[in-house]
Amino acid sequence: MSEKVVTPTAGSGSRLPTWLHPSNAGVVYAFAALVVVLSIATASTGRPSYVSPTNVSNILDQTALLGILVVTTTIVLISGNFDLSVGSVAAFGAATCLGLMPSLGFYGAFAVALLAGAGIGLFNGVVVQYVGINAFIVTLGTLTAVRGLVLIITDGRTVTVPEGADRDALRALDGSRWVTPNLYLLAGIGLLALAAWRVWRAQRAGTSWRLPRVLVPAVLGVALLAASPAMVFTVRLSQRAVYMLVLVVLAAWVLRYTTVGRRLYATGGNAEAARLSGVAVDRYRVMAFVLNGTAAAFVGVLYASRLGSINPTGLNGFELTALAAAILGGTSLFGGLGSVAKSLVGALILVTLANGFNVLNLGANYQGLIEGVVLIVAAGMYTIALRRKQRVSLRTVDPTTKPATTGHPTDAPELTPAGAGAERP
Amino acid sequence: MTTGAAGDVLLELRAVTKSFPNGTTALRGVDLVVRRGSVHGLVGANGAGKSTLIKCVSGVQPVSTGSIHWAGEECSWSSPGDAQAAGLATIHQHVPLVPTLSALENVFLWRRGPWRSTPQMRVEFDRLVERLGYEIDPDVQVASLPIGTRQMIAILQALALGAELVIMDEPTASLSEAERRIVLDAVRRLAADGTTFVFISHFLDEILEITDHVTVLRDGRALLDEPTATLDEGRLVQAIAGRELLAVERAGGAGSRTGDVLLDVTGIGTRTGVRDVSFHVRAGEIVGLAGLLGSGRSEILDAIFGADRSATGEVTVAGRPVGRSPRAAVKAGFAYVPEDRVQQGLHPAEPLWKNISLPDLGRLSLRRLLPQEQEERALAARAIDELGIVASGPDALPSELSGGNAQKVVFAKWLYADKPVWLLDEPTAGVDVGAKAEILQLVRRLASEGKAIVLACSDFDELLSVATRVLVVRGGRIAHDLDAQQVTEEELIMLAHGLGAGTGEVVHV
Repeated sequence: MSEKVVTPTAGSGSRLPTWLHPSNAGVVYAFAALVVVLSIATASTGRPSYVSPTNVSNILDQTALLGILVVTTTIVLISGNFDLSVGSVAAFGAATCLGLMPSLGFYGAFAVALLAGAGIGLFNGVVVQYVGINAFIVTLGTLTAVRGLVLIITDGRTVTVPEGADRDALRALDGSRWVTPNLYLLAGIGLLALAAWRVWRAQRAGTSWRLPRVLVPAVLGVALLAASPAMVFTVRLSQRAVYMLVLVVLAAWVLRYTTVGRRLYATGGNAEAARLSGVAVDRYRVMAFVLNGTAAAFVGVLYASRLGSINPTGLNGFELTALAAAILGGTSLFGGLGSVAKSLVGALILVTLANGFNVLNLGANYQGLIEGVVLIVAAGMYTIALRRKQRVSLRTVDPTTKPATTGHPTDAPELTPAGAGAERP
Repeated sequence: MTTGAAGDVLLELRAVTKSFPNGTTALRGVDLVVRRGSVHGLVGANGAGKSTLIKCVSGVQPVSTGSIHWAGEECSWSSPGDAQAAGLATIHQHVPLVPTLSALENVFLWRRGPWRSTPQMRVEFDRLVERLGYEIDPDVQVASLPIGTRQMIAILQALALGAELVIMDEPTASLSEAERRIVLDAVRRLAADGTTFVFISHFLDEILEITDHVTVLRDGRALLDEPTATLDEGRLVQAIAGRELLAVERAGGAGSRTGDVLLDVTGIGTRTGVRDVSFHVRAGEIVGLAGLLGSGRSEILDAIFGADRSATGEVTVAGRPVGRSPRAAVKAGFAYVPEDRVQQGLHPAEPLWKNISLPDLGRLSLRRLLPQEQEERALAARAIDELGIVASGPDALPSELSGGNAQKVVFAKWLYADKPVWLLDEPTAGVDVGAKAEILQLVRRLASEGKAIVLACSDFDELLSVATRVLVVRGGRIAHDLDAQQVTEEELIMLAHGLGAGTGEVVHV
């Protein structure tokens, strides 16, 4: 590394970091607001606190399956595709696993289920990318066909695993609970580490560190550490919640910090430009489908693990909930834009809404209406924010430069726009 | 022609200029007089200002200074609808018809009313068809029709709107010979009937055959404005080529012919009509592909790069065969500057540094897996500095840049990846004069560094100013292989138009 380091986003002194800016993290603020409203509602009606360790544990547990699926669904969306089949694939995975367990044992059946999910994903991807049929149509087809397959292999009956070693192995997939250390303590340590890291980074880069950017986390961290013996907040994580959190962190890291992530965003952002830059667009998109199919099968088995049984109509419509969560998280349906962490917050919003209705004893009848309205409002806000952003960039730049960049401004464009239509033959 | 120029003035432009705030001036004081009932030809090289002129006349863009007069009165149309209402219809090269509707429905698409088709429409359709002199089944679905027939439907649409003046932009560019005949006959017939046409075409034989009056545009000026009867091909070609404002001196001995063969292309063919194209490019050589719209220039480059999956033929770089995909081509050492930089070259929502590092991301990354953002930003900063890209910094978005600067970003994507073979498709299209000169300079520099360069460019003067060798492309084939030093722009224009052989050393391949 040379001495001359480009100053990273200079002038961002005490301003919010970009990822916390409302236009980037709206969903996080919306979630916070929702939690605050529910907390006030529970407190004012004399119910136990909404943000209690128990309830937080419950919400995380209830989000887990959706959360796992929303991560891979977001990846498919970022790649510029669309997958409707995951609900059926999840049921198929569960039915395969449970159906084969008597003959193959748990691990064999589990492996076959995951492979089956991957196989359906591969089918989706290959048909979409190499045959060139629209992803919506293909996955609508697999959604229906795979559900039919589930009905065939289960003969329309619920599959149940009898008690025994296999049942125990299945249960063990989601059996453990893990109690976190005191979160106040963790947060304190984290803030102190952040302060230390900022000092270290500034010194390595040979620049002076800004006092507020170090002092604020340091003071907060010390305060939290001091208070931690008195304030205790531990969350009991179910194993499925741990799966979800691990997957989110892993996927977020891959998307943010690796070439794989960079190329995936490039693929969704402008497939033709990415292809002409040497990115294996088709392969990335197919892999996204495979990942989604595998995750769906895994979710299906997890879903079946607690009851030890799978209903052939189980997980119906799950794909739409996952898509709704991804959209709430600001993922674009046109590709190239999205974040798994924000999609997860979207999933948390949906689950919290449902959970809040239960906690407040409001009629569950209203749930669907509220969720739908929330989804449309969120999408509307994203659209408006994007439009405003574009208007700003148009104002800062010259509006008439636009025709110059969209083709030949002073003469007719080429007869056959090269590569147009080559992306999807 | 027969109708002569006797009619009164229908459309008149007085000293019309059009400049864009980014500094590009497309029109520099154009006077134009179109008489009623005439066929007025408008010709000029790409970038001469024809399209801008049409946009101004048809109300798509306002003029900067000067005035437009319609039937004697000054008009200020603010939208194409205004112009249409006044009786001016424009038929663009890519005919905007609704492919899923019938011919009848398309012709009366803009008619208000509750019914998709009425008996009156059919009667009117028959009458229009008779005027046109070309039979079209009113109920046939447009999607099933060849392009030539769609042109006819577009003409019918214009007539149905009551257009007195029909502007046709390159109507025959993508037509077969037979279809071309039909369109030309229809224009002639309607002109005799009183409809006025402004006819834009690259095909000079067509212009000479069908028009009454010709205006030649060059660099935004009307340089020649005469009755067709007084013109011949030679004069037209000369007027089109002229002396370019962009004075890029003819590089004495640009590129070398002695390097090793870096790129060898054998028997390239595509489904889009490229047939049996073979050539080679040496290190340090700039080979120009000269051809008209639709001649197959871009298709050849697409095929070489593997962007066209259906392409056949063999490509080798330094003797090693290259796989048939852009990914393999990039690995083999190709750099590709595509024709449409917005659609094919850039990620408009990603910052410059991510755009620039994309083709070479693997090398810029730790263990080819972890991109080093500091280095990517530094690379972008270097590109901005070295290429003179006007941008706020590495974090600027490509959508904020002007055409020339955006094009430099596309070059920067490949510049630091050390690619030995460069395929450039219209690198100076839609770029202002200053940036154009800089880009051409960059192309020369690349050649002097020993790269092999294939350059497709529709501005032949520009092409000759940098190329070592010129391949004339016509009908998807290489028609001539010429030494750039021994061919003039006029000869090149003639050859590209298929108008006999120039005087240079012409080698038929």
